Amino acid sequence: MSARFGVDIGGTFTDLVVVDEITGAIRVGKVLTTAKDPAHGVEQGVQSLLDEAGVHPRRVRAVVHGTTLATNALIERKGARTGLLTTEGFRDALEIRHEGRYDMYDLLIDPPPPLVPRHLRREVPERLGPDGSVLRALDEDAARRVIAGLVRDGVEAVAICLLHAYLNPVHERRLAELVREAAPSLVVSCASDVVPEIREYERSSTTAANVYVAPLMARYLEDLERRLTGLGVPGQLYIMQSSGGIALPPLARRLPIRLVESGPAAGALAAAQAARARGDSRLLSFDMGGTTAKACVIDGGAPLVAREFEVARADRFKKGSGLPVRVPVIEMIEIGAGGGSIARVDRMGLLKVGPDSAGADPGPACYNLGGRQPTVTDADLLLGYLDAEFFLGGRMRLDRAAAERAVLEHVGGHLALDATAAAWGIHRVVNENMAAAARIHGIERGRDLRAYPLFAFGGAGPVHCWQVAKVLKVPRILIPFGAGAMSAWGLLAAPLAFDFVRTLRARLDAADWGALNRLFAEMEDEGRELLARAGAARESVRVSRIAEMRYVGQGHEVEALIPPGRLSAESLPAIIAAFEAAYRALYHRVPQGVPIEALNWRVTVAAPAPSLTFGGAVAGGAAAPDAVKRTRRAWFAEANDWVETPVYDRYALGPGTTFDGPAIVEERESTAVVGPGARCRVDERRTLVVELG
Amino acid sequence: MPFDPVTLEICWNRLIGVVNEQAAALQRTSFTSIVREAGDLSAGVFDVRGFMVAQAVTGTPGHINSMALAMKHFLAAYPPARLAPGDVLITNDPWKTSGHLNDVTICSPIFRGDRCVAFFASTCHTADIGGHVLSAEAREVYEEGLQIPILKLYDAGRPNETLIALIRENTRLPEMVLGDFHAQIAGGAVGGERLLEFMDEFGLERLEPLADEIIGRTERAMRQAIGALRPGRYEYAITSDGFGEPITIKVRCLVGGDELVVDYTGSSPASRRGVNVVMNYTEAYTTYGVKVIVSPDVPNNEGAFRPLRILAPVGSILNVERPAPVAARHIIGHFLPHVVAGALGQAVPERVMAEGSANIWGVQVSGKDLEGRPFTHIFFASGGTGARAVKDGLAATAFPSGVLGTPVEVIENLSPLIVERKALRDDSGGRGKYRGGLGQTIAFRVRTREPFVCSILCDRTEHPAAGFRGGAPGAPGEVLIDGVRPANPKAEQVVPPTALVEVRLPGGGGYGRESDRDPDLIARDLLEGYVTR
Repeated sequence: MSARFGVDIGGTFTDLVVVDEITGAIRVGKVLTTAKDPAHGVEQGVQSLLDEAGVHPRRVRAVVHGTTLATNALIERKGARTGLLTTEGFRDALEIRHEGRYDMYDLLIDPPPPLVPRHLRREVPERLGPDGSVLRALDEDAARRVIAGLVRDGVEAVAICLLHAYLNPVHERRLAELVREAAPSLVVSCASDVVPEIREYERSSTTAANVYVAPLMARYLEDLERRLTGLGVPGQLYIMQSSGGIALPPLARRLPIRLVESGPAAGALAAAQAARARGDSRLLSFDMGGTTAKACVIDGGAPLVAREFEVARADRFKKGSGLPVRVPVIEMIEIGAGGGSIARVDRMGLLKVGPDSAGADPGPACYNLGGRQPTVTDADLLLGYLDAEFFLGGRMRLDRAAAERAVLEHVGGHLALDATAAAWGIHRVVNENMAAAARIHGIERGRDLRAYPLFAFGGAGPVHCWQVAKVLKVPRILIPFGAGAMSAWGLLAAPLAFDFVRTLRARLDAADWGALNRLFAEMEDEGRELLARAGAARESVRVSRIAEMRYVGQGHEVEALIPPGRLSAESLPAIIAAFEAAYRALYHRVPQGVPIEALNWRVTVAAPAPSLTFGGAVAGGAAAPDAVKRTRRAWFAEANDWVETPVYDRYALGPGTTFDGPAIVEERESTAVVGPGARCRVDERRTLVVELG
Repeated sequence: MPFDPVTLEICWNRLIGVVNEQAAALQRTSFTSIVREAGDLSAGVFDVRGFMVAQAVTGTPGHINSMALAMKHFLAAYPPARLAPGDVLITNDPWKTSGHLNDVTICSPIFRGDRCVAFFASTCHTADIGGHVLSAEAREVYEEGLQIPILKLYDAGRPNETLIALIRENTRLPEMVLGDFHAQIAGGAVGGERLLEFMDEFGLERLEPLADEIIGRTERAMRQAIGALRPGRYEYAITSDGFGEPITIKVRCLVGGDELVVDYTGSSPASRRGVNVVMNYTEAYTTYGVKVIVSPDVPNNEGAFRPLRILAPVGSILNVERPAPVAARHIIGHFLPHVVAGALGQAVPERVMAEGSANIWGVQVSGKDLEGRPFTHIFFASGGTGARAVKDGLAATAFPSGVLGTPVEVIENLSPLIVERKALRDDSGGRGKYRGGLGQTIAFRVRTREPFVCSILCDRTEHPAAGFRGGAPGAPGEVLIDGVRPANPKAEQVVPPTALVEVRLPGGGGYGRESDRDPDLIARDLLEGYVTR
């Protein structure tokens, strides 16, 4: 058995990739997502790709799966009818939120409606104190009555979130038992299992979201496993989590909220895999598609992981307009900048691009599908970066005249610019927006992006990376071969990993090291056990520990890696040094004489990431001059003029080829553009490595 | 360097990025929950003339716009010629900055070589400034705490030890207070570093040409927006509970050409208690109130302020003179956007909200915990906003303030308070075609053996939020101690150790006639219990 499958269900397409581990042969497929019955589309895609690749189903030893189903259910509000059980006096925490407005100046905004409507949020008599002690015992008779009421009202799922239960789950667990007694078919989640962390709004929001999508995800995963078995695939199904680790189906069923954003996570993992393979520990993953662009810092060969994420935003790009979920998630910034982003002139007479997108329908003006607004793709076409005859490998013809009309009418005319200057303005502004977002993403985490080569993929990433790299002042760009299927690649690059967290607030100078060691042992044993059951060799398992710390009195924690093994007072200097280094990197100076405390202790237990060899698939290729298909005029700021630019056929560029910019490199799903002064080299993995002058 | 529209857009975006970084660094290093959880801060960048060029997206209007005015006072005290690299300026003068002593503004001049090219400033609500614990009780500003005139907190990188010792001695929470000064300075340092990088990249020797372009365009857009209003004279008045006696805020808006005059003549005289508002703060909230109605999409900077003329008679509640007490100035200040809306709503009814609960309530508790250790804790909470022309108001949401509530679990971790209930207040939204937002109820006890002091900065307990165009008023607020209303809810109460303190925050006013309400919305309100009858 020796083939592996990656399957990524996106909003429009399901991407598949199969790797034959013996021959190294790789095959990529794309089928339409069947939204009503997603497992059906996966089944068909797997079947047809196996046929095409000539791989017998019996040989598939693993199917790694990423999906946006959980996210979509939250956005479209298509999850289970969910009830909430909470401490008496607090059923409205989910609706009161933080009492803020996500836009200071817009009077018409609304927060996202809570997943559990008020009439299904019920209170039970009980109370824990801020130290986890029981202030008021759970009134079980009252609880039974409340639960009976929820059952009568037809809920399919129940979230349980009690005040301070992150320190003591006793009442939550008892309530879960009572729910199961009353109605064994209901799906139940306790906040103390999903996210045992302080802050009642975030915790109940996360727990509600988890159980809201749980029935749907459970049905889907069962269906998918059945279908794969039906195809004769014996391999284990693994599910991609938003943290970038993969999990087995039982965990995915219990904590489906950890699957949000697993698609974009896979893209970042592909970048991380590339970084490791190249021996670069750092990269900036830059994924620009039709609607949005995403940037993600890869450090030490791995993406950064954040602890909170917002789903189903009322305004997609405004912080605070979504539902907060506290789950480990690959940290990336997403902004409304893609090929379909619309350009316009605002009231101040300034050129703005995005976040509105023309999408695929009506699409950019040059698609000639009814779009009249100028988009980034229209600008790219007018600048000569895209070929009207070779868009999507020639499957679609672009209308240059329509692009010019749109750009002149909506931008050029207002700013007294000709079509080229207006198109260049659009190109520049969208690049600048992306660079600004990436820079904030980097700086908020104390990273200086000038040391991070840009790893560009997605349909539009390779077109824009040259300029973005210049704005960010990065020295090098990497453009992977087959940039369109990067997410499915990433699935195969993911390690099997489990994340754990426990809250134990302690001043470092007065920490209970025994309790801490027990905590770590508990988490690490569970992780090793799960990995062993999944077939990972014990000695290959890597454990990393993170403490979230701050100066006493502060409210935001800084994460630092802490030493493995038994902790004691002797570990203190190392822990403090790790914290101070992380703190200084973010905020320049370290307060003197202020004690440090830790809140959360995290563990990631991971099997090694699988190694992927791209080699077998992509042999051959020619030296540079033979790969030049033709030349075309493209506009470059460096020349301040049109330049007759060679157009290279990506498929004909063999490893070791070198050439200088300006150059255009075309493959089916994307076009790479590099300007004058660039020095390009094709490496052994056929990645285009671009050195900026 | 001339700015073409594309370059200008790019530079402008960069500046906004720079101030957002400043604010992020400040918030993340702050030692005070009001700053980091509640967002009670502002941050911005100024050119050497003191013009605000960009502000951070976080923050609250009373701080942002008053900080913009404060910069001119900093410059008057310390013109760039008297500043050196490493200097940091500080003040909490209510008349020069944000209207009460708790708000401390820190200003960092930024040098390019040996020339001052910009200032970063931030205003934060500091944890404690001495005096009466934040309340309206004082009779003069001298009782309200330590006054810090405009001084150097750092002189060429060296801390002003004399000043720091003085501050340390005059606050109950010196570590938090000084820690937050550090956070503000860290924000300025991060912002300054980014600004210099940006200026290098674009070859900007000075910030002023860019500032002129940004401010000029903003001013033109603002004038255009005002010019589109129906000219006329629009009047409105709101009555506040005041402190012991009601306070009237009267406004007359004159729209003509591309300028707007907002005149508060006829408003009540200064109060004897600390609900008085300094002119800076009046201007801040007036500017904000106009902006959300007239031009919400125009950026907030010097240019947005210029087409407005704001008048309030000296000695009136909205333009008090030293030494009037001012600690609880937001109680009146937060009414200003509502009174402006009442007036301008006559010109553009579709763009305003009905009156809302307006002021954010501040609940300050101090006493001794079970171990006898002293504590002081303050948290903020919001009632409902007014209904909008096309939808219901927002429940338990801050407006006009941007200050957030604090999670109950955090309150209980930081203080001996035990919150028994924090819930939406049924039936508190004013009825109408669109219903006002619901207020909320918060009930708490204190784990203590001794009586404790509770000061509740509140309003609308006697004068509820009025509806608009036939909408009904929202429910008034209430303060109850063991079920009994104190004679004056704003007064400092000495509360017995076992008592339950309950605050019920007001609901927002309705918009339009109730008879026009969509039956689906009526049914939803009954199902969810937002309305029970």
